[in-house]
Amino acid sequence: MSKHIGQGDGPAPLERLINGILPENPVYRQILGICPTLAVSNSMESAMTMAGAVAFVLLGSNLVVSLIRGLLKPHLRILVFTLTIATFVTIADRFLAAYMHEMSRKLGPYVPLIIVNCIIIARCEVCAAKQSVFTAAADAIGQSLGFALAMATIATVRELLGFGTWFGLAVMPKAWPAWVVMILPPGAFLALGLLMGAVNWIAAAWAAKSAGGGEEAKKA
Amino acid sequence: MSDKGGYIRQGWLVLVLAGCFGAALAAVHVGLGRRIESNKLGDTLRQVPKLVPGAVEGRPESLGTRTVYRAVDSSGRTVGWVLPAGGGGFADRIELLIGLDASAETITGLYVLEQKETPGLGNRIEDANWRGQFAGRSARRRLSVTKADKGGADEIQAVTGATISSRSVTDIVNEAVGRFRADLGASRQ
Amino acid sequence: MIDVLIGLAPVLVAAVAVFRWYALKQIVVCLACCLLAEAIFSAMRRRAMSLGDFSAAVTGMILAFSLPPSAPWYVGAVGSFAAIGLGKCAFGGLGQNIFNPAMVGRAFVMICFASAMGASAYVIPGASLDVVTQATPLTAAKSAGGAGPDWSMLWPLFVGNVNGSVGETSALACLLGGLYLCFRRAAKWEIPLAMLATVATVAGLGDWLGPRHPLSVLHHLTGGAVMLGAFFIATDPVSSPLTSGGRWFFGAGVGALVMLMRAYSGYPEGVMFSVLLMNALTPLINRATIPRPLGGSHRAIPSQTTNGAP
Repeated sequence: MSKHIGQGDGPAPLERLINGILPENPVYRQILGICPTLAVSNSMESAMTMAGAVAFVLLGSNLVVSLIRGLLKPHLRILVFTLTIATFVTIADRFLAAYMHEMSRKLGPYVPLIIVNCIIIARCEVCAAKQSVFTAAADAIGQSLGFALAMATIATVRELLGFGTWFGLAVMPKAWPAWVVMILPPGAFLALGLLMGAVNWIAAAWAAKSAGGGEEAKKA
Repeated sequence: MSDKGGYIRQGWLVLVLAGCFGAALAAVHVGLGRRIESNKLGDTLRQVPKLVPGAVEGRPESLGTRTVYRAVDSSGRTVGWVLPAGGGGFADRIELLIGLDASAETITGLYVLEQKETPGLGNRIEDANWRGQFAGRSARRRLSVTKADKGGADEIQAVTGATISSRSVTDIVNEAVGRFRADLGASRQ
Repeated sequence: MIDVLIGLAPVLVAAVAVFRWYALKQIVVCLACCLLAEAIFSAMRRRAMSLGDFSAAVTGMILAFSLPPSAPWYVGAVGSFAAIGLGKCAFGGLGQNIFNPAMVGRAFVMICFASAMGASAYVIPGASLDVVTQATPLTAAKSAGGAGPDWSMLWPLFVGNVNGSVGETSALACLLGGLYLCFRRAAKWEIPLAMLATVATVAGLGDWLGPRHPLSVLHHLTGGAVMLGAFFIATDPVSSPLTSGGRWFFGAGVGALVMLMRAYSGYPEGVMFSVLLMNALTPLINRATIPRPLGGSHRAIPSQTTNGAP
């Protein structure tokens, strides 16, 4: 109860934006929002639609929560977050069903499931409930870009191997044998695991490089 | 805390937000509801001209306890029927649309609305070539599945390596066509 | 591991004798790709070259033996990289892997290229080699009616002159190599014995209850991958239990699952899935069967109390 929320403390807008893309990438570094990442990443088209829907919901709820942050009661804040998120998700779901009918059928229950996507509630809690509207918007954009980047990399691997296409365009040679497993759920886990390993490997290599010789000697 | 005013004081924001959001959703629904409904119906209706030769549109009709689509040509004459049908496949439910001619004597086409069969094997029931086998078959006799290279008049060649999926589709067709013919006969008497 | 390679030699001879260049192609592709994958992944992990322990060679041989003779080259290649990369290195290298690497590779390509690995892929119509133009015995039995067992099939099943995966057809060769392994203690004898006994018991029960089934006990024992699996796949020392009791349970579990899958699943054979399933149970079996030292805490986790275990 004593926690005072509503004050603008925390990273600046630009820092929030950049952090979201790679240093605090929601999928690869925070391991949040794994459900849609695994479920709809077998083609670029559905992955990018999902990323768009998440971006819309994230931006909308971050803005609303940031606007009303001065009125939030600490013990009711999660309720308010959920209510806000659910509203934006329902709007996104209805728009998809109306204007992108095929895609909405393909995504099935995963659009409504954005409600329980941890990325959004985490950003409401971490950033929007504490910082200004401008920072919250920058944060939402950064995190959305990070999520889209993760979705794009995973979907690229899965669609290329599993269908031999990218955004539905044939990329691989005609004789390419489709790796069916990459389209199926196991392929999602494999692609996510391997890419997450690669990202962490590169990050560790960078960190070691910038930390200099002493750190490297310790590692060896 | 028996003070009811306390709850209101604490929860007013939630109530106000719920009201606002509810209104917003209602507005979205009013704006988009019709479009969404017609999209859903469109999935089926778009297939009618492809399933029944000569048809330009389908009109939903209820027959017995189910909905069927009467396929009509540009002058409004009945040229056939489209039946939605479903049943268990190898992995999950398979939803089909079956085209029949006006007298329900011959199958004119088959379309797979929904299936989750094994990719690479069972999902080849969606192939136009495989589905095309059903067109022209008699609706009077039950169809069966064969693994041989050449099937008889009432035999559907199984998708290689996916006999169960093939058999499921054929069973669904047999069942739906049989029931439709019975219902149609009953409604004409 | 060199003993395993020697034990695999009779199987190799039988495979080449039955399938000729089809077998040679699979073996060369899988062996080369497994060794290459091992070299690449150990270089990536900055470990010493681990080719010398021959484990990659064994994985390659077993993977090749479990593929259909007709499989295109990329099936073996992808399977090899999946076996070494996903099956072994992703877990931390030899000794850390939960699953039998060769079976991980096979499962991967089985799901990837279902049409190149399914029952129908084994048949190559019009091939100049007679044996690959017929359905595999287990597939044939799946679609055969209640004609009863075909006793004339038994001898070909035993020596291996039937269609099937490259190295699984000859029960005789597997038996020879397998007995050598058990004799040299490179494989623990409990696993094959328990597995074969379970298969025989379940199949015998089936025989007794429904004598018209096209496969008798002897068909079940000599057909499919049971012999190869019992001696070379289930006995992988890394992914099988550590104690004698555990190994009995493990072998019996694989045998029972194989019979369950042969009888009721959509696939004609189930050795691969059975071994993988039982591999997943191995840590539990170890936990239940590794003895605790007298006076040791009953609730302590095994890793703290197994000073005496290997």
